[in-house]
Amino acid sequence: MKKGKYVMIITLSIVCFLLTLIIFMQFKVAKETKETNIDTMQEAELRQQLANWKTKYEETREKTEEISNTLETYKKESTSDIKTKQALEAEYKTLEQALGKTDVEGEGIIISLREKNENELSEDEFITPIVAEDLIYIVNYLKDAGAEAISINDERIINNTDIVDIGDFVNIKINSNYIRTNNYEIKAIGNSSYLESSIFGKGGYAEQLNISGIKATVQKSNKVRINKYNGEIEKKYIEEVN
Amino acid sequence: MIFIAIIIGCILGALVGINIPTISYTYSSYLAIAIIAALDSVFGGISGTLKGEFNFKVFISGFFCNSLLSILLTYLGNKLNVDIYLAAIVVFVGRMFINLTIIRKYYIEKWTQKFEKLKNNKEKVN
Repeated sequence: MKKGKYVMIITLSIVCFLLTLIIFMQFKVAKETKETNIDTMQEAELRQQLANWKTKYEETREKTEEISNTLETYKKESTSDIKTKQALEAEYKTLEQALGKTDVEGEGIIISLREKNENELSEDEFITPIVAEDLIYIVNYLKDAGAEAISINDERIINNTDIVDIGDFVNIKINSNYIRTNNYEIKAIGNSSYLESSIFGKGGYAEQLNISGIKATVQKSNKVRINKYNGEIEKKYIEEVN
Repeated sequence: MIFIAIIIGCILGALVGINIPTISYTYSSYLAIAIIAALDSVFGGISGTLKGEFNFKVFISGFFCNSLLSILLTYLGNKLNVDIYLAAIVVFVGRMFINLTIIRKYYIEKWTQKFEKLKNNKEKVN
């Protein structure tokens, strides 16, 4: 066989090799293009896909914005709600304190009243029982001296407390409770010096009590505890005027 | 011998082509136009052989040059944003049809002659 023929055969086989190679490569690309693969996608398809994604993106963005706006509104509402709640709670607490519906504690004095024994009496003194009036005076003086909370024998004095004598100076009614005793303990929270001087100062009510055979003693304390008013505060006739 | 070489080349090409990693779609358009150009050369070669005008050098040079030129034209078309490859396809496919016509005519004539020969032989025998 001639040399030229060999060359022709080899060249032809190379040509065939190259032709089938690129044909099969192209087949493969064409096949994969049909399957949605972004690397091998046709331009038009890519454009279409891009447009679709853009629309989707826009829609999603709008939705996100809408949701975040709603969220913002809810947040604002909830913060204002919390604030209102806190303000209301604070107000409620103050009101409860003012009404005497809470246990309180603070600087103050404890006044003890008891009737004197016979041997304790001096010549110009005589025994008179403790009456509601005595207690009213003491409470008023204490209030005048800035007492923030007062209790008599653990009965809290509130704005509609009544202190009255029932019968022949036997019973004293405080907050609808009858107290029948010769010993009274009056607790008051406030500036202890002011409170003390209001009763025990020179010419104070303690002196008058002393003459009446009632022994009044005072005890200052940094921690006077006054219990809350346990009853109901009822309003039957009162109405608010707008 | 030539047929064996052609078959071996084709099988090898097919095997390599199947197993080679997929090329990007961007380059696939170049490959496609190269295939058209190569096929045009092949059909040209066949028709040349049939006409008795086949020249191996012309065939090989045509095969590679046409493929490369078409690839270059496609590339240029992409750069200019003009689909020049369409023009190349029109030319190559048009020539392929012409060559196919030549091949078809050649074989039709050949078979017609054969058929007539057979007919004449039969008549002679009778």
